[in-house]
Amino acid sequence: MLDDLPEQFDLVVIGTGFTESCIAAAGSRVGKSVLHLDSNEYYGDVWSSFTMDALCARLDQEVETHSALRNARYTWHTTEKESETDAQSWNRDSVLAKSRRFSLDLCPRILYAAGELVQLLIKSNICRYAEFRAVDHVCMRHNGEIVSVPCSRSDVFNTKTLTIVEKRLLMKFLTACNDYGEDKCNEDSLEFRGRTFLEYLQAQRVTEKISSCVMQAIAMCGPSTSFEEGMQRTQRFLGSLGRYGNTPFLFPMYGCGELPQCFCRLCAVYGGIYCLKRAVDDIALDFNSNEFLLSSAGKTLRAKNVVSAPGYPPVSKGIELKPHISRGLFISSSPLGNEELNKGGGGVNLLRLLDDEGGREAFLMQLSHYTGACPDGLYIFHLTTPALSQDPASDLAVFTSQLFDQSDPQIIFSSYFTIAAQTSKSPAAEHIYYTDPPTYELDYDAAIANARDIFGKLFPEADFLPRAPDPEEIVVDGEDPSALNEHSLPEDLRAQLHDMQQATQEMDIQE
Amino acid sequence: MHGRVKVRTTEEERERKKKEQALKVRAYRAAMGRIQKKRDAGELDNEMLSLTVQILLRNPDVSTLWNIRRECVLEKLSRLKEEETACETPGEEKPEEENQTVEDKTGEEKAAAEDKSHSIFTCELDLTEQCLMVNPKSYNAWHHRCWTLEQNPRADWQREVQLCNKYLKFDERNFHTWDYRRYVTGKAMVPAAQELDFCTEKIRVNFSNYSSWHHRSLLLPELYPNQQRDRPMSEEKLQKELEMVLTAAFTDPNDSSAWFYQRWLLGSGAQLDRAPRIAAFRLESHGAILALDKPYPDITQLKTELVGGGQTILLESWLPVDKRGTSWKCQQNFDYQRKSTYSLRLSDQKVDLLPLSGSENGAYYFAPPHGTASCSKDLLAELQTQLQSCLDLLEFEPDSKWTLLTSALLMRAIDFSANHETSLAHLAKLEKVDSLREGYYKDLAARWTLEWELAKWPQSADFPKRFDIADDVLLESLPYDQYLVIADEITLPNKLRDKLGESVPKTFADLKLQS
Repeated sequence: MLDDLPEQFDLVVIGTGFTESCIAAAGSRVGKSVLHLDSNEYYGDVWSSFTMDALCARLDQEVETHSALRNARYTWHTTEKESETDAQSWNRDSVLAKSRRFSLDLCPRILYAAGELVQLLIKSNICRYAEFRAVDHVCMRHNGEIVSVPCSRSDVFNTKTLTIVEKRLLMKFLTACNDYGEDKCNEDSLEFRGRTFLEYLQAQRVTEKISSCVMQAIAMCGPSTSFEEGMQRTQRFLGSLGRYGNTPFLFPMYGCGELPQCFCRLCAVYGGIYCLKRAVDDIALDFNSNEFLLSSAGKTLRAKNVVSAPGYPPVSKGIELKPHISRGLFISSSPLGNEELNKGGGGVNLLRLLDDEGGREAFLMQLSHYTGACPDGLYIFHLTTPALSQDPASDLAVFTSQLFDQSDPQIIFSSYFTIAAQTSKSPAAEHIYYTDPPTYELDYDAAIANARDIFGKLFPEADFLPRAPDPEEIVVDGEDPSALNEHSLPEDLRAQLHDMQQATQEMDIQE
Repeated sequence: MHGRVKVRTTEEERERKKKEQALKVRAYRAAMGRIQKKRDAGELDNEMLSLTVQILLRNPDVSTLWNIRRECVLEKLSRLKEEETACETPGEEKPEEENQTVEDKTGEEKAAAEDKSHSIFTCELDLTEQCLMVNPKSYNAWHHRCWTLEQNPRADWQREVQLCNKYLKFDERNFHTWDYRRYVTGKAMVPAAQELDFCTEKIRVNFSNYSSWHHRSLLLPELYPNQQRDRPMSEEKLQKELEMVLTAAFTDPNDSSAWFYQRWLLGSGAQLDRAPRIAAFRLESHGAILALDKPYPDITQLKTELVGGGQTILLESWLPVDKRGTSWKCQQNFDYQRKSTYSLRLSDQKVDLLPLSGSENGAYYFAPPHGTASCSKDLLAELQTQLQSCLDLLEFEPDSKWTLLTSALLMRAIDFSANHETSLAHLAKLEKVDSLREGYYKDLAARWTLEWELAKWPQSADFPKRFDIADDVLLESLPYDQYLVIADEITLPNKLRDKLGESVPKTFADLKLQS
């Protein structure tokens, strides 16, 4: 198969993770010849979504020195007696029977509705390949309970948990944050420069309840977050409100693994060539032509530029990896939180957790079948926190006990794993660009910045993912683009015009 | 290479749009010309219907075309009727025994004809539906839909209600849809309680919705009537509504819809079209003077009778005292008897008159403009809680416009005379913080002051002969001046008197009923 490939490329991208796919699409879009390779048989690498079977297989896979996924283990929690109690109850077999109904993310993310990725998708017109669900509830823990945080104006209006004066104070605070920066000389905010966001919040005379709404869920701050940083995060949250749903967040339907594929698709539309299950055995730099020579499946390819994901040999030889993100992935037959949070079977709920000191945080995403990521009746809990050790379960223990000790959901499957990142760049590969592994973030801002940065170094003159035209804007070569004939009119109008022209032969129509 | 991607430049795109526009104009003109010609020739046929469809789908606001469609529909219906009667006539001539089968047959035919006319209506409804997708605020399309449904005896009103649900999901603030909804829910006999639930749901989604608040204000007095008729609805429900609307107002004080609804809630629930009531009346031997609480164009249309002294006298020949039609005089001589009690009847209203004190002959009636509305313990508690919330908020935001106004209104609803000074202080503050509406607040202050002065007038020494407002009372105008016609002497602050000039209200003495 590879024999049919051209031998010369402007850009060879190794790995189909999010960042690599972004770069491949951007290159192809501006007319570069792109070859995109992945040694896996699926798109997305650690950014991919898996079926139940595939996830287990992936977690079972032997860890090599360069693997980004490590420290993986999983457990099935189905007891014998459950199957007797009622026919509906889930167990290992019934879950595995529906394996293909799952899209289980290794790196789940939530998008800000006006964030970097959404803007990029719209700007580049890649959005037409993707579908989203607005996140249903942004939650926080209050007195041990999971409660919905009022995000929008109608949420604040409808919530029963705030008094009317609290409602006013919350709205006033949010409006002030939203307007912050427009008026540079605002004395109120000047005095807080260099202090913490919490100090600012306390000075606004808001109640304890509002303070936790803002700190935990809206500004997503800790006690030491600076005033400027907190303000910026609050604005990011507020700026994404009122766009799509009731909350400022979106989740991609069928899992985050769809997103790298959207970029790959654009790359392919503009002539990028894809080869999965294709590893690169060796890379050498030809100093005469200043081109890379890649040997893959017994063939040599020439590339002006090479971009690679970190976990791919031979590029990443000699790179040391250390734990970066600790993940927990659980499947449960009951959702977290009360009925109000899971109305009609639930949707997507986002919860930011803090440890008792407030120094460490974790994100929990709860997905229902409405995301297309699991079968009806099951829920996925994705738990993500920055890694501290080689043991993801112990890193997450403080958060899992917050979640599961009190509410006791019916967990059927639980798994833990680590996403690792390299500690330093390989000195051997200074001409090859590495993408960063997934960083700990909610949205894709860092990944996009990384892609933009590498693309800018590769093609300094080129535009990063300009808008792709819609089919009706495309003209076939040789056709006069300004010519317009009746065929470009809507069908009924054309028929009408035709009728009219016959009729007008009998009539005088003034110009 | 062929089929390479080449994107049109904006210039090419503009050129293309221009050509497309020109083609569309040509098509439009041709169709309009053809329609006009056919109409002149009286050809109200299917071709006419399909011609108008093409234009209306692009621009639903051509009234002429809708009119033509209505002509076409009526024409088609009358033709159907003709066919029907043509079928029926031979049936009557059949012998008796065959009648049974004939009836069946005509029954079937009738059903078939009905089906035909029904399909004509369905076609019109489908068209308006599509047009409303193009322009959801097309007066013409909405009107045509109503007309079609009115014509059709088998109109499916339930379906129309469903349609409103759908449209209001797309745009919950389209007042056309809300208007239409009121029309079809009336026809479909949708219970008011169900409508109220729908309304509540819409407000929960987005409370910046005048239409929805308005819809509520029509449903609530019907569902929860107030027995004393001095509040818009039962006190229990009113309490809940007040709670909800204040929540909305506090969530976004810059949204005026909630505040307007709240003012309606705190009001008396009076309807605009209610009959005028007697504000003040004074009678002596040579005539009478009557003041109404609201203007009425011609008092002679209302039957005015004086009952007392063993007789009923019809008061006629009323002359207006002011231009607005709020006060009227009647120069009729009576045989006034001091010992009798008199009462006055105006349409269905009857009030008892009080004799004038002192030696003078005559009787009077007076009802101050601000009546104390009924207020149960629970409602009072709710009002006080709300007032407290407003006052708490004023501590954080002392210049909040709506909070200042609302707290003043709440104070007046709780006890208007005790809180008179404080509520005026709020208005004075509002004149400063909301200076664009300074005149409005001055006007409101004048009304509240007069309401207060008039409320305490009956307790004054020379009531009703003397009316005094102290010179230090700030007044920019003199509302409720018709209430003063029963006085002989009016003392006003000098500044106000200068301001009023010629329009100082006439007193009973000025009117010189004797002459």
